[in-house]
Amino acid sequence: MEFNDIVLMAIKLGLVLIPFMLVPLLILMERRGAAFIQDRPGPNRAAIPIFGLRLRGFGLVHNLTDGIKLFFKESFVPPFAYKPFYLIAPAIPVMTAVLTPSLIPWFAPISYAAANGVVTVAPSFFDANAGILALFALGSLSVYGVVLGSWASNSKFALLGGLRASAMMISYEVSMGLGALGLFLVVGSFSLTSIVEWQANHVWGIVVQPIGFLLFLVSMFAECNRNPFDVAEGESELVAGFHTEYSSVKFALFMMGEYCHIVVASALIATLFLGGYHLPWLDTVAIKTHLGGVLAGVLAVTALLFLAIAHLVHGRRKQYATLAASDRAARSKEYGFFRALFVLAGLACLGGAVASWLLVKPQALDLWHEGAKVYPLRWSLLTAALQIGIVLAKTLFFCWLFVWVRWTLPRMRYDQIMSLGWKVLLNIALVNLLVTAVIAKAVQS
Amino acid sequence: MAKLVPRPELTFWERIYFVEIFKGLATTFGHARRTLTNPAASITLMYPEVQPDIPRDYRARHRLMKRPDASPRCVACYMCSTACPARCINIVAEESPDHHIEKRPAKFEIDLLLCVFCGFCVEACPCDAIRMDTKQAILAGDNRADFVVDKAKLMDWDPKDYPDTDVQSQKAPGGKLHAQALEEFKSGTYH
Repeated sequence: MEFNDIVLMAIKLGLVLIPFMLVPLLILMERRGAAFIQDRPGPNRAAIPIFGLRLRGFGLVHNLTDGIKLFFKESFVPPFAYKPFYLIAPAIPVMTAVLTPSLIPWFAPISYAAANGVVTVAPSFFDANAGILALFALGSLSVYGVVLGSWASNSKFALLGGLRASAMMISYEVSMGLGALGLFLVVGSFSLTSIVEWQANHVWGIVVQPIGFLLFLVSMFAECNRNPFDVAEGESELVAGFHTEYSSVKFALFMMGEYCHIVVASALIATLFLGGYHLPWLDTVAIKTHLGGVLAGVLAVTALLFLAIAHLVHGRRKQYATLAASDRAARSKEYGFFRALFVLAGLACLGGAVASWLLVKPQALDLWHEGAKVYPLRWSLLTAALQIGIVLAKTLFFCWLFVWVRWTLPRMRYDQIMSLGWKVLLNIALVNLLVTAVIAKAVQS
Repeated sequence: MAKLVPRPELTFWERIYFVEIFKGLATTFGHARRTLTNPAASITLMYPEVQPDIPRDYRARHRLMKRPDASPRCVACYMCSTACPARCINIVAEESPDHHIEKRPAKFEIDLLLCVFCGFCVEACPCDAIRMDTKQAILAGDNRADFVVDKAKLMDWDPKDYPDTDVQSQKAPGGKLHAQALEEFKSGTYH
């Protein structure tokens, strides 16, 4: 194994952990998003005192304190629980959360010149021909955690939650599979990499299969146990549903598994229907030939984002300064610090944009591989980094959609969920599949 | 008899539910955007950096009024502790050295954990000796004993914290009217 291979393997292994890294961000998004939608400021009290500042980090410190609290709590097992299953159950959603992202292509396949000719690196850790099938299979395993946990808890509330979760998963798995099947008919492959490549060469999946996209989206909400389908928890009816008897780090694992599931589901939707790492007019070849310009554009957008955040922080600082009867000094200092930080970050990004516009001019090697020029490895890696950024941006949009919908729609009643799943979505999915099959056949012949 | 509430007639687009979801999403996004860009739109008070504005007539922690010589104006008549529905006022009377006054409180304790802040003591007092206008609405302590306020604590207030128009408060030592009377006394114009 060459050094380059090891590095690329390590990078891909790191990408597998993306859902875990996004969990704190997602919790923050959930809490602050919920707060903003409800006209509240949200949790922003926990702070780290450092250098005479009380840094609250936009509420991120709350995640830290929650984590510390949950990890140091007594790991209590109810005496009436069936201990082996009770302890295994929270690990299952986390396990699937580690396994599923290894199937998602985060970037376009990289080709680079090695000692023994041109080497192509697969875009996902585990690039199977039956990628999407493996992903569905693994993703569906996470319900085992819920069912096993609820059964082993030996509590009626938990058992009811688990029953609902399993029934709902089975119902919506059908329309999820059928919703995505239309796309596979059009593309003609189960490999996630070739699905994304097909979308890059033709059009995005959402254009070919708009109904399939909606079916898949709705089913994904049910799969993730999210509002309006979160009857498995159903606080108003079932205390806390399947994790009623769980506390401390076991509860944290359930929660983490749930959020990881959301990230994976978002990445999957982005990959299947929104072109994955592809943007219109920005396929891999275009990025590579205009790498400097594209990098400059991305950095400029990032700079604008940072400056916008600095502007928001500035607005909050001004608000404190005008408030009567307020302790201004500490807050002004903190907001001033964050404003300076984001302005500096924005300026650094702008500088980076100018520098990459002027300096990044990749020269292709005199090698051809599968109809495309081969570039040196560093430029290919930079392209891959940009594409990872594109996937992450799309993923985060869908994560926000999950949060957004949760605070918009009321929870559906259990029988309504069932009738929606079996009487409406399934029929639409079948008709969609039939029409797609007929059209696909007609176009083919 | 049960009142029949007619179900609203839904149009086709409402019954299909899908369009309404996007309308709802637009509404919630509007709220999120507004609160994000304009924090003043949120009605949440940033306590404790920003303190709530307590109205003048709010029934807060009690205080005992003072005579110009800084002694309590209370005559230990037990009217307040009799009127108190929570029985949180504990008074021990003693003879006043001033024979015009007859009695004064040796001990005047209020258990704020028992107090229901009804204001009956203020109503019952025949000489305006007890008031509930300190605006101290947020009470905190580490143990129960911290919440039993004694005479000294009840009389530990500053006339500067009360408006100049509050005649009774300003007559207490440190008050404007008190200072004015002292000036007049010195110059011999006091009557």
